[in-house]
Amino acid sequence: MSGSKPDILWSPHHVDRYVICDSELSLYRIESVGNSEAKAGALRLSEETTATLLAINSDTPYMKCVAWYPKHEPECLLAVGQANGRIVLTSLGQSHNSKCKDLMGKEFVPKHARQCNTLAWNPVDSNWLAAGLDKHRADFSVLIWDISSKFTPDASVTTDKIRLSAGDTDAGLVVTKPLYELGQNDACLSLCWLPRDQKLLLAGMHRNLAIFDLRNTSQKMFVNTKAIQGVTVDPHFHDRVASFFEGQVAIWDLRKFEKPVLTLTEQPKPLTKVAWCPTRTGLLATLTRDSNIIRLYDMQHTPTPIGDETEPTIIERNVQPCENHIASFAWHPSSQNRMVVVTPNRSMTDFTVFERISLAWSSTGSLMWACGRHLYECTEERNASSVEKDISTKMRQRAQSRYGHDTEQVWRNYLLAGGDDPQLKSLWYTLYFMKRYTEDLEQKPLVNKLPLVYSGIKNIVKSSSGTVESWCCWNGSDRQADVIRYHSDERCLALQLCGWIKRGPEIDVEPFLQSLEAEREWERAAAVALFNLDIRRSIQILNKGASAEKGDLNLNVVAMALSGYTDEKNSLWREMCSSLRLQLNNPHLCVMFAFLTSEPGSYDGVLYESSMAVRDRVAFACMFLSDSQLPRYIEKLASEMKEAGNLEGILLTGLTKDGVDLMESYVDRTGDVQTASFCMLKGSPGEVVKDSRVQCWIENYRNLLDAWRFWHKRAEFDIHRSKLDPSSKPLAQVFVSCNFCGKSISYSCSAMPHQGRGFSQYGVSGSPTKSKVTSCPGCRKPLPRCALCLMNMGTPVSSCPGAGKSDEKVDLSKDKKLAQLNNWFTWCHNCRHGGHTGHMLSWFRDHTECPVSACTCKCMQLDTTGNLVPLDTV
Amino acid sequence: MELHILEHSLKVASIAKEGIQFFTHGLIKLAFLPSKTRTLSCSCWCKFFTLTETPEDYTIIVDEEGFKELPVSEFLSVAEATWLALNVVSGGGSSSSSQPIGVTKIAKSVIAPLADHNISVFMLSTYQTDFILVRERDLPLVMHTLSSEFTLLRVVNGEAVAANSLGVTNGFVKPKLVQRPVIHPLSSPSNMFCVTSLDPDTLPSVTTILMDVMFYSSGVKESAAPSDDLEYIRFFSFSLIEGYVSLVMDEETQKRFPLNMLFTSASGELWKMVRIGGQPLGFDECGIVAQISESLAAADIPAYYISTFKFDHALVPEENIQSVIGALRTNKGGGQ
Repeated sequence: MSGSKPDILWSPHHVDRYVICDSELSLYRIESVGNSEAKAGALRLSEETTATLLAINSDTPYMKCVAWYPKHEPECLLAVGQANGRIVLTSLGQSHNSKCKDLMGKEFVPKHARQCNTLAWNPVDSNWLAAGLDKHRADFSVLIWDISSKFTPDASVTTDKIRLSAGDTDAGLVVTKPLYELGQNDACLSLCWLPRDQKLLLAGMHRNLAIFDLRNTSQKMFVNTKAIQGVTVDPHFHDRVASFFEGQVAIWDLRKFEKPVLTLTEQPKPLTKVAWCPTRTGLLATLTRDSNIIRLYDMQHTPTPIGDETEPTIIERNVQPCENHIASFAWHPSSQNRMVVVTPNRSMTDFTVFERISLAWSSTGSLMWACGRHLYECTEERNASSVEKDISTKMRQRAQSRYGHDTEQVWRNYLLAGGDDPQLKSLWYTLYFMKRYTEDLEQKPLVNKLPLVYSGIKNIVKSSSGTVESWCCWNGSDRQADVIRYHSDERCLALQLCGWIKRGPEIDVEPFLQSLEAEREWERAAAVALFNLDIRRSIQILNKGASAEKGDLNLNVVAMALSGYTDEKNSLWREMCSSLRLQLNNPHLCVMFAFLTSEPGSYDGVLYESSMAVRDRVAFACMFLSDSQLPRYIEKLASEMKEAGNLEGILLTGLTKDGVDLMESYVDRTGDVQTASFCMLKGSPGEVVKDSRVQCWIENYRNLLDAWRFWHKRAEFDIHRSKLDPSSKPLAQVFVSCNFCGKSISYSCSAMPHQGRGFSQYGVSGSPTKSKVTSCPGCRKPLPRCALCLMNMGTPVSSCPGAGKSDEKVDLSKDKKLAQLNNWFTWCHNCRHGGHTGHMLSWFRDHTECPVSACTCKCMQLDTTGNLVPLDTV
Repeated sequence: MELHILEHSLKVASIAKEGIQFFTHGLIKLAFLPSKTRTLSCSCWCKFFTLTETPEDYTIIVDEEGFKELPVSEFLSVAEATWLALNVVSGGGSSSSSQPIGVTKIAKSVIAPLADHNISVFMLSTYQTDFILVRERDLPLVMHTLSSEFTLLRVVNGEAVAANSLGVTNGFVKPKLVQRPVIHPLSSPSNMFCVTSLDPDTLPSVTTILMDVMFYSSGVKESAAPSDDLEYIRFFSFSLIEGYVSLVMDEETQKRFPLNMLFTSASGELWKMVRIGGQPLGFDECGIVAQISESLAAADIPAYYISTFKFDHALVPEENIQSVIGALRTNKGGGQ
């Protein structure tokens, strides 16, 4: 101060008042813009606020420090410490009421003049004012004055020696006898009263921090340090104190006063002010000389269960309230994170430190964030269907309905998935047909065609040989149809995979037609019947469709048109059909006429009708395309499918590398790792599963399940996976070994039967073997005791692997009864104490600390997920 | 009680009166612009500087950083040793009998034991505190001597750390405790002094006065002072130690400073000087300070004590001067 740098003080009780002090004291009132628009002389502090100068006090020269009276009344009483050590009480903008009046102008004079460095009002006994002075060889540097005391000439000081100006003394305004004198032959640079007790004063002395206890002034607690400037108590944590020296801030814990609990990173320039935020815990603002930046330290104690030794997390931030250098700042006493800064030329800025935002996005799609004291939850404004349509929601629902787990009726998985996705339908039917075919092969020991099925129609037709061409007749008539049909074993297999025909050598689509009729897919059934050259059956199906409940009467019209079929090349029928068919909405009806009107050998109208199911098109191609045309068509279609990531293409690619490529573009398109994982696990040759992409999908799906807390589902999936892919079975991760012999308890179980037999030979009953459950099978020494029931641990289930010898079978069945998880070993990885799982679980239901006496390990809290409940309780 | 061993390595030097003009540049820098004594190679600057003018010479006590500012000259004589400053800090807050201030307070606990162990000391009292300067080479012995009375702390890089006594003695296992007679002749000049200080921030505003007082005393003396008074002594001391200013000047000089600029005690006390030594005292004789201070302590009289290159000076309250002289005279000659 002293004319150079202004400081700023906020009124302790009036949230809209503050004082700027440099060579004089100026009282300002802060208002929002709306209230003071018209007022002249209002200074703009920010977009929303202005300040109005209320009063100026320039009565007190040589100001060194100022402190605001902490109580409500008198309202605006300030203590000013001067360069010569005198402390003057003064006021600002007050109508001089009686209570205040006799305090105004009162002076407190130390015995020896020297600079007054700091002032602090006692927050409880507000008559007490502590002053910190510079060093004098024979005087005290901490003086505590009672502002209510009257001038009483000390008898020991001869009155004639006191050379005070006459005016002061007779007004009774000068006090020379402090209440307490502390810190002889020392200097005091900063002071603050400790909230722990009204008689504790913390002082930054010349080379130490000292706590003076006024109840016993002969004692002081002190610690030698350089960081003695600007001592200030955290208003939220009364044992935490900050002080500084040059560029470094030290944080002290008064309970452990020997050394700073932490020192903050040193700043290049010396600090001028350090202040705790009164409205938020653990936020410390620091200001250095000649800087326009306020550096904030956010100290957050995250509760960690591993001891209390952990240092707090500190987040450093810089804020720049204005362009110019900052002389000083003051936190607003109640408005959150708000401060006013003042520059050397007294321009002021009202500034609010923006709170850091922390964001959390749950695995189920809800979004929350916290800012300051507010917690926001994001709710979807759009209609809920978009969330439901999202693949994550779908996968969650499908996981709950055990999608993918039906390994018998594989096609049913499509229903489990909701039954509304044609691609999934095609996929699961394909997998179902593949599985059915391999089962057929297994029944009759046959040539190694197993991998061929899973390698897709594309590879099947490539290997096609011995194709028989035949001119076919329309079913039920001798009329020669104008088409060539092709037959081979491979084509037959392909048709089976397409689902058109059942297993067996004969090509009979009737069961398929009936199933389609049952599903009311009249048009498709009619088309399939027609492609099998049974025009009558086709018409019959259409009629059935028209007459069925809610049937489309137009089907009759189609049937009528169909019945007029003629193979006359230039007939009117042909002409009309080939042009009008394009107006038919149903692709199946459309391709029926395309087939009838096409030239033999060129069925593009059917083959490239993209709205028709791939399996039908492929089946059609297998019947009517020649050996040269067919692979080309399949190849083309397969790459199209791959490109589009269309799961129907799995029929063509099979579960090969091609299939993985296709699935990759499907996952890229949809994100459906669930379907990808389940589908690829079905590929019985392990090759595709080893593909890194497949492993990636599987891991991602498992992570998803974990994130949803579907732990049981994840475990189920792992079991399912290990069945289909034995290599994924995890190795044993934990071994329980004996304290004495060091052998694994489960491992040495295999040696057990030998001993058991030995005993039975001597006619000893089964009891020794039984008791062995609680002793090491290797050395027969007892296993550790449960910390709770103090019984030796041991569970018969540990003998499970590798102990399945015939003579132990009886025991094993008994064991299985006993082998509950409750009896299992469990222990804390931190303190190594443990016991029976059941006992431990019930203990930690009510306790946080380890049950072993004198162990303070908070075992249960170590496992942060341990307290969570799985969301998919089976 | 704590005894701080400060980190400054001090040199004690004397500048002959007639040669002062060669040194004014450096001295002004040391007194008023200490941060400018920082050199490129070294980040620290002069933190300990005193200038005491006596009728005989100027005595300079300055740390090694500041010593570099003084030019080598025939007018400059330097005491051969490097000195360390000791500072007594009352650890406990209670010993509130503040009346016997200054040297008398530490006479018994520091000065007498050092004298008993034949350790030569150099005293420097300031407004803020008392410094006891000892030779650096005597430090182990000093620490040994004082470790029973004090918590010894060594100041390292501004921070006080515990210093261990090295357990060295100079052979005098049990020093003889004898009555210390006052050996040297005493004189008491007529003028009165004040010991004062000022706010370092206001130093610039009194710089010209201070420079005038420091370097042009002869001219002032001729014109203003009662030069005919043979008992009058020219004595002025300025010190700037760790940011604290301390001034010792006579009443006449004090009047030249603006009102309210200097820190004066509430009682406005004035001090009279007792000058010790007829011949220059040198640096090797021990027990001089003890002789004086023990007598003052016995009589419970507060005092400042300022050693200079040639003589020692004690300041005692004006009303006590007769009793002090009396007491010291009685003590003179030892067993009388």
